[in-house]
Amino acid sequence: MATTQQVLLSPAELAYLHASLSLTPPIRPDGRAPNLFRPLVAETGILPGTNGSARICFADGTEAIVGVKAEVEKTRGADATEGGEDAEEDNNREGRSEWVELTVEIPGLRDDDSGTAFLSAMLQEALLADGGFARKLWINRRYHWKLYLDILLISPPLSYPLPLLSLTTHLALLATRLPRLKSEGDEDPFFDDDWAAAPYLYPRDKKSSKALARPPVTLLVMAVGRNIIFDPAKEELAVADVALAVSVGEAAETDDDKGKGKGRKLRLLSIRTIDPPSRLTPPGVPNASNAAYGAAGATQKQPEARMAEAEVVEGVWRAPRGGAKPLVMAALVQKALERGGVADEVLDALDGVDLG
Amino acid sequence: MADRRRINGPPGATIPPIYEDASDKSVVTRQPPRSRPANAIRQTYLKTGVTPSASGSAYLEVEMAGKPGVSGLKLSCTVHGPRSLPRSSLFSPHIILSTHVKFAPFATKQRRGYLRDPTERDLGSHLEAALRGAIIADRWPKSGVDIIVSIIEGDQDRETSRQQGDEAWDMMNTLSGCITVASAALADAGIDCVDTVAGGVAALVRDDADNGKPKIVIDPVPSEHDKIEAACCVAYLPTRDEITNLWFKGDMPDDDMATYMELVQQGIQASKHANRVLVQCIGETVG
Repeated sequence: MATTQQVLLSPAELAYLHASLSLTPPIRPDGRAPNLFRPLVAETGILPGTNGSARICFADGTEAIVGVKAEVEKTRGADATEGGEDAEEDNNREGRSEWVELTVEIPGLRDDDSGTAFLSAMLQEALLADGGFARKLWINRRYHWKLYLDILLISPPLSYPLPLLSLTTHLALLATRLPRLKSEGDEDPFFDDDWAAAPYLYPRDKKSSKALARPPVTLLVMAVGRNIIFDPAKEELAVADVALAVSVGEAAETDDDKGKGKGRKLRLLSIRTIDPPSRLTPPGVPNASNAAYGAAGATQKQPEARMAEAEVVEGVWRAPRGGAKPLVMAALVQKALERGGVADEVLDALDGVDLG
Repeated sequence: MADRRRINGPPGATIPPIYEDASDKSVVTRQPPRSRPANAIRQTYLKTGVTPSASGSAYLEVEMAGKPGVSGLKLSCTVHGPRSLPRSSLFSPHIILSTHVKFAPFATKQRRGYLRDPTERDLGSHLEAALRGAIIADRWPKSGVDIIVSIIEGDQDRETSRQQGDEAWDMMNTLSGCITVASAALADAGIDCVDTVAGGVAALVRDDADNGKPKIVIDPVPSEHDKIEAACCVAYLPTRDEITNLWFKGDMPDDDMATYMELVQQGIQASKHANRVLVQCIGETVG
C-alpha cells in the first residue's frame, strides 16, 4: 500500500516535522498554508479514442491520466415483452452500481495489491453514493451504458496519490460525452453519428458552458496536534496523527439557498480512514537513556527496545498509538465541508479548466 | 497479477437464479419490519480458541434478522504469530500486520471465487487500519503476524427473491463483525493491545411506515428497511474513547452535521454493545 511504504526519515527529522506542523499557524515543509493545495496543471480531451479523458500533473511531479470508455450493454433481467409506454417516466429509471467499472493502475504495485483495491473502492463509492450517477447511464429498459473508468498514475507514487486520482477522474467525467440517442422507447438503441451533437454526461449550461452538476471530489485531510492540514505531501503524512479521505459532491442549488452566504452547497458522500504511515516509523531515543550521552546503566545493545515503554519525552519521536478522538475526526470532516472552504476552492479551480 | 499456478474456471461462470417479480406488488414477500428497538444490536455469539493449530482464534455468529435463534453471519478468525520475519525482508521496528478477509465461495447468494476479489481486499485494508491502532506494535520488532478472517456465511437474506442492491450496505455489517472477531482472536493469541477494539454499525434509514421520516438505528439489516440513506462503521476503543477506523457512506447535506455526529455516536454505541460481548467472552476464557 502506498501509505505503508517505508518513510526514509530519521526519528529526529520526524520529531522536527511534527513539532513544526503542530505550531499555530503550522509551518509546512513546502511553505504552503494549511488549506492550500499543491499547484497543478490540468487538461482534458487528450485521448481521442475515449469518450472523455483528462490529465493532471502536480507540482511535485506526480502525474495521472484517466480515460473513460462507454459501451452499450443489455440490461440483465430486463423483460422485453412488457413494453408499456410509461417507461419514459424519469422515476422508473434505476441505475445499478455494476454499470460502472473503475480500475486504478499504479506503477510498481501489483494490480491485486490491497492499497490499489482500497483506492479504487474509495473512488467508486463516492461516485455511486447518491445513485444519480448510475441513473445517467440508463438508455431504455433493455439497454444501458457500461462505463469503464481507467485511472493510470504515470509517475511513481511520490505521495499518497488519492487527491490526484480523484481530481483527474472528476475532470475526465466532466469532459465525457455519450452519443446522442436517435431511437425511441424500448427499441434497440440507435445513435447519431455526429460527435459534435453528442451531449455531455454531466449536462452544461448553454450560455456559460459551465457544468450544472458535477462529479464528486475526494480530499485528503490530516490532523497533527491541533492543526488540520489539507493535501499532505508524503513527509507530512509520515507524522500524521490521523488521516481521513472525505468525498464531497455538489448539491443542486435550490432557490431559497441563493444569497445565503457564499460558496456552494456541498454534500458529504463518503469518509474513510487512511492508515497513516506514522504508525510504522522508528522511535527515537532520549539522551537520558542513551549511553553515548553518559546515561548510567544504559549499556544495552538496543536502547530503543527498552525505551519503547517509557513515558513521552518532548522532542523525541514516538510513533502514535491508538486511534483518534471522535471530536477530532468530526472537526476534520467539518473543515472539509465548510462553505467557502477548501472543497469550494478546489471545485472553483477545476471550473477554470477548459473542457474543450 | 492473476493466479497462474492453478487452473481456475472462468470467472463468473455461474449465474445466480433470477426470479420473476410477482406482478401484484402486495404479494411480494418482504422481510417484516425491524422488531428490535432502534438502539439494540442482534444477539451475538463469540468463542475464542476454536482452532487449536493457530496461536489465536475466535468464532462469531450473529443472529439472523426476524428469526430469533437462527444465525446469519458466521465468521471464523485465526491469528498466526507473532513470528520472525523471513531473512530477506527489510528491518522493521514494529510488528508487520497482514490481514486477509475471504468470503467462502458459498457464503453469499452470488458465488464467490477462490481468489480474493477487490471487495475482499478492500475489507482487508479496513480491518488492517482498525487493528493497527489497537496493537502495541513496537513490542515486537522484526516480526510479523497474519490475521485471517473467513466468512463462512454472509449476512444475507435468502428469502427475498430479488437482489436489492444491498450488498454495499451488507459489507459494513460484515466489516464490523470482522473487527470484533479479529480482536478476540488477537487477545486469544496474547498479542498486546491498548484496548479491545470492536466494530459497530449505525445507519440513517427511511421507512414508509414512519411516513418517510428518517431515523437512526444501530446494527441495521438492509432488507428490513425501505431505504438506507447513510451508514457508518466504527472501530472504537472504549477505555481510551478513540476511533481507529471510520467508514461512512451515504448522501448527506453539508448543513446537517448534527445528524452526522449523531450517526457516528450511535455507531460508537453499537461498538460498545459488541465490546461487552467481547469482554465477557475473553473473561470466560481467562477465568
